[in-house]
Amino acid sequence: MSKQVTVAVKRQDTQTSGSRWETFSIPYEPGLNVTTILQRIAANPVTVEGESSTPVAFDACCLEEVCGACTMRVNGRVRQACTALVDNLLAEQPDRITLEPMTKFPVVRDLHVDRSAMFESLKRVHAWITADGYFDRGAAPRMSQDAQEDAYPLTTCMTCGCCVESCPQFNDGSSFIGPAAISQAVLFNEHPVGKFDANARMEVLAGDGGIADCGNAQNCLKVCPKNIPLTQSLAKAGRAATKYVISRFLQK
Amino acid sequence: MAQQAAKTDSFAVRHHFLIRRLHSLCGLVPIGVFLCIHLTVNASINAGAAEFETQVGYIHALGWLLKPVEIMFIFLPLLFHGVLGLQIWFSGQPNVSTYKYGGNFRYMFQRVTGGIAFVFILYHLWHMHWLGAPFGGGKFIAHGEGMTESAATAMQDVVFGVPASVLYGIGVLSAVYHLANGIWTSLITWGITIGPLAQRRAGYACSAFGVMLAVVGLSGVRGFKTFEPEADSHMVGVDTDVPPPFVKTVSDPGGS
Repeated sequence: MSKQVTVAVKRQDTQTSGSRWETFSIPYEPGLNVTTILQRIAANPVTVEGESSTPVAFDACCLEEVCGACTMRVNGRVRQACTALVDNLLAEQPDRITLEPMTKFPVVRDLHVDRSAMFESLKRVHAWITADGYFDRGAAPRMSQDAQEDAYPLTTCMTCGCCVESCPQFNDGSSFIGPAAISQAVLFNEHPVGKFDANARMEVLAGDGGIADCGNAQNCLKVCPKNIPLTQSLAKAGRAATKYVISRFLQK
Repeated sequence: MAQQAAKTDSFAVRHHFLIRRLHSLCGLVPIGVFLCIHLTVNASINAGAAEFETQVGYIHALGWLLKPVEIMFIFLPLLFHGVLGLQIWFSGQPNVSTYKYGGNFRYMFQRVTGGIAFVFILYHLWHMHWLGAPFGGGKFIAHGEGMTESAATAMQDVVFGVPASVLYGIGVLSAVYHLANGIWTSLITWGITIGPLAQRRAGYACSAFGVMLAVVGLSGVRGFKTFEPEADSHMVGVDTDVPPPFVKTVSDPGGS
């Protein structure tokens, strides 16, 4: 008999129903990743007990760790399913692979979660550049090479949710907007045109749920699949908020 | 568009940032500074009763001002820092079992040591401070009525056996960790250490500070544990040193 891979999946039928575990056995193939495992289960959704089940619902899009859609907890740790290679997972934990939805977002079904909270946070911090207005702002000032190199890593954020999933400060009981949104606020505040809206962003960063709620556990930096220097962004936001609140107080 | 804090929000929500920064500041000054002074003064028992009493005397030289200073600069900041700290602790969801990173453990220890220090300080106030006297505690008397008591003799009455020493050791180490790590995180919070290298260097400095303060703090606990008034020349009245003018000691029964 060929080598089999045991996969335990935490399943949930609706947003409000309870969860249950189902275990599947998949024939091993070299180069297998977790997205492929889920496709194999979909092709033959029969549990190890021989019971007929349904394909596991999950989100996926780019399949190359650029979109963030397939973010889930693999062996308990948050990451993208597409770059979770079975060979590496079995080397860590040979007996089985566990797949669970993220815990910080509402589950839509099985491994598919609703990450709207991430986008609401981006909207709160005004994470864009206001290019269109009532008048022409003219050509933007040029960014130095150094400034471009500082900004580039921050632009690679795909709002996947790894940072907030691993963040002990981001939860139902806290209004913290999380590292991703703060890092985007820092990115746009350092942009020559984005700067025009800096005060609006600072009001959020220096408000309830802003930078003051960071607990410096620094898990975000460790789990970020894009290696974004999130703790650097958080510290920059801390410095900017200190300056902003003092100058707001003195200029009133 | 960014949401401005609305007038309808509670005071805590509207001033969330300032309250958190005040919490951070309180932990450094006055509480952190006080902890350094307190542990250093206590460690002076290792240099003998006379030295310890001199140091205690400097504090009590404030006279009637001592109580208002104590309340304003120690008790109120401690209460604010402690109560808000507990609220911050319970607003987080530690996850070290899943994410076993050094920083994550540091985060959890900061909360746990803060909690231990908070409970320990309550016990310590009952045990030593005049606040605890009505409840059967309040053992420490800097210089008692009739000059039959002094800072060092008072320490004789304090049961400083093995259980108390262990308790004080845990309390001191918790407070020291909480301060050392608190300095490290406050450097990030206030926006002083930005990059990873700067934060790592600050980590070395704060660790060194923490180790030194822990040695000072534990030496004080050890000093009181092993203190033998009978063996201390100052305590049996054969000390020839001139006592500090504001400290009335057993060896100076007439008062000067």
